[in-house]
This record gives sequence, C-alpha cells and structure tokens, in this order.
Amino acid sequence: MNDRDELMEHIPRLRRYARALIHNRELADDLVQDTLERALGRFHQFEAGTDLRAWLFTVMHNIFASQTRRAAARAHYVTPDDEYAGLAEFAVPGAQMRSLEMRDLDYALQRLPAEQREVVLLVGLEEMSYADVALTLGVPIGTVMSRLSRGRERLRNLMAGAQPVEKLKVVR
Amino acid sequence: MTDKANPISDEALHAYVDGTLPDDERVRFEHAMARDAALAARVNDYFALNALFHERYDRVLSEPVPKRLRPAALRHRRAATNWPWFAGLAASLLIGLGIGASGEMHLANKSAASMAGLNDTSSVQAESTQAFARRAAVAHVVYMPTVERPAQLGASHEHDFVQWLADKLGTDIHPPILSRAGYELIGGRLLHDADGEMAMFMYRDAGGRRVTLSISHRKASTGTTAFALYRDGPVNVFYWVDGDFGYAVSSGIDRRSLLALSHDIHEQLKPNG
Repeated sequence: MNDRDELMEHIPRLRRYARALIHNRELADDLVQDTLERALGRFHQFEAGTDLRAWLFTVMHNIFASQTRRAAARAHYVTPDDEYAGLAEFAVPGAQMRSLEMRDLDYALQRLPAEQREVVLLVGLEEMSYADVALTLGVPIGTVMSRLSRGRERLRNLMAGAQPVEKLKVVR
Repeated sequence: MTDKANPISDEALHAYVDGTLPDDERVRFEHAMARDAALAARVNDYFALNALFHERYDRVLSEPVPKRLRPAALRHRRAATNWPWFAGLAASLLIGLGIGASGEMHLANKSAASMAGLNDTSSVQAESTQAFARRAAVAHVVYMPTVERPAQLGASHEHDFVQWLADKLGTDIHPPILSRAGYELIGGRLLHDADGEMAMFMYRDAGGRRVTLSISHRKASTGTTAFALYRDGPVNVFYWVDGDFGYAVSSGIDRRSLLALSHDIHEQLKPNG
C-alpha cells in the first residue's frame, strides 16, 4: 500500500495549512479528510515522479473552493470551536487586547477573502514559489501576485488595527 | 523615498520578503529601504506576518494525526454514506491497489458453461473481456472493505440508485436477489475509467463473506461467452458476456460456491428470465 504510506507523510502539512485556512479544528480536519479521500479515489490521475505534495494541495484547493462557493450563500461558514470561545470579543472596539496576538491572527485571516487567504498562506506558511502557487490554484502568476499583494496589505492593516504596530516587529 | 527613475515594484517587494529576489536587485532594494521608512515598515510587517504564521500554526505539525485521518478510518467514512453518496459521486476506479496482475488464470470452463446453459463460443475478444474481469477483481478488493451496511438503507434509496444506474448504463437493471444463498445486498456504486462505466453491486452474508457483481456496458457487442474464471490472488472472478453487457462475480469464497452463485445470478439477469 505505497500510495497510502506516501499520503501519510503529507498529512501534517495538509493539516497545518487547513488549520490556518479555516481555523476551526474540526472543519479543518474535515477538509483534510475530504482531500485524502478524493486523492485516494483519483490516485491514478497523479503522475508518478511529479510533486505529490503540490498535487495534494491542488486537490485540497479544489475542495475548499467549491465549499467556499457553496457556503457563500450562507451567512456563517466558520464557527469558532471551544479553543476560540472568546473570539466574539474582538468585534467590540476597545476589548482587552493583552497577549491576544495569536488570536488576532486567526481572526484577521478569516477576514481575508478566501482567495487572498490561500495565496498569503501558501506563500508565507507553506513557502511555495509563486509559480507553484499558480499551478496549485490554477490561476496565472499575475493573479497570484495581485492576490498576494492585496492579501498581505489587508492582513497588515487588520493586525495593525487590532493592536499597536510595535507588536508586529520581529527580529530577523 | 523611492528612486523615481527606478521605482521599486510591488513584485520586487514581495520577492524580497519571500527571499527570491536576485542578489543584485536585493542590494538595490535594501538601499531603497534605507531611504524610505514607509517601505521599510511595510517589509518589516510582511516579514512579521510570515513569522507569525509559523509561530501560530507550526504546532499543528507535531500534533498526533487524529484517527479519522488515518488510512483505515478513511475507508470507513465513505461506507456510512453508501447509496445516496455514490449515486451522485460516481467514483473513479482505483487501479493497482493491493492487487496485481499476477496469478492470472483463464479457464474456458466447459462444465461451467453447460451448467449455465450457454453455448461455448470460445475466446471472443478474450483479451478485453479478461481486462474487464481484472477490473472487477480490483474493484472488489478496493471497494468491498469500504462497504458497510448504512444505518438506514431505505428501499427508496435503493430504488433511486438502481434507476440512476440503469440510466447510466442504458439498460433496465435490477440487482439479483441472492438471499437464497444467504447474501444480502449492502451497497452499490458506479465506476468509470478509460474502458467505460461499470456498475457494482455488493453483497454480504451473515458470516461477513462478500461478493461483488460488476456489470459493464461493452462498446461492441460480442455475442455470448461461456463462464470463465479469472483468479487474482485470493479473489476468484467468474465472468461472462451476454450481448452488450459483461458480467463478473468476484469474491474470496471458494470456487464451487462462487460458481453456483454465478449461475443463480446469470439466471436472474437473463432477459425474460
């Protein structure tokens, strides 16, 4: 069962990306599960010798994109799970901001349009090249660049609005 | 302040952040940053965002993989939604999982032919027919473990699924009833690949023995053939062709029982039979 073993190796990264993308643990794992099951069902479409990880991310993107389209009609797609029970307070200006940087990130990411969120995360978290992101999402590289540019700037503003900018500084 | 004659492009900015800017351009970019505080702040924030992503989400990498994402569990979830799901989904055939092309055994089984009351028309397109038998064997091995009786396999679901299959295959189709031999219909699905579409009906008896009936609409009518046996590892497949359709009965049960079952199925599937 080599196919399955190979798939297994990629599960942690698929989960990391899905968690950042959807941020609700259960829904994120649902996405991973759907991805693995579809990948298993279509393994014959995968060309041996090509990048399995890239292919899996493509499969995941396709599922995510169709879910997002379907959910667009509904008001709330993402519901916070217990871990993020305090999320609602972010909607209130002047709420306590102490050491909530990480939750801010979850929140800010969810405020990005899905297509920008995908690009920002594939580049920033998954460290994919722009060309690979274009292949994964099935869009021209120029589209990747414009989504990246808009997504990063919007995320930066969201984070800056939530707390003092100094907190964003990172020694590098 | 950016150099007016040579402005910093958005593209260069992101390439710098993501570490893909060529050396010479990077030097130029850093000079520009030194002169432009706003640009520097932006770059700094973008770096920070990438670092935050890792700080926040890398922990997922070291979390144990939940049970439901492990291979064994992946099979199970499909099972729970058998009829309604597969009817709409038409999953593709997984080739080469767990079963190889080894152990092929093609038998023009005379006794089987006489039992079934068929004329032995010898090896009519034996090759493509055998390929069908192999697909049936593979499908049996790949899909059978995923099938469990859904909590509520309603008669209407079954009816809808069978109707849908009939439309797809272009024939009036009814899954044979095998309760006399102790087998109960537990699921069905439609597979398609380069060779066309193949309907599958899965049966199980009280002891957990499993039998899959595969029906394929053939591209060219090849008349009628005798029963033939194809064996692949632990799986025996009896298969035959009747006009436009190929039939295959796959199972790990012993060959004699399987032949008797195949005979029963053949009788039930015969036009006007």
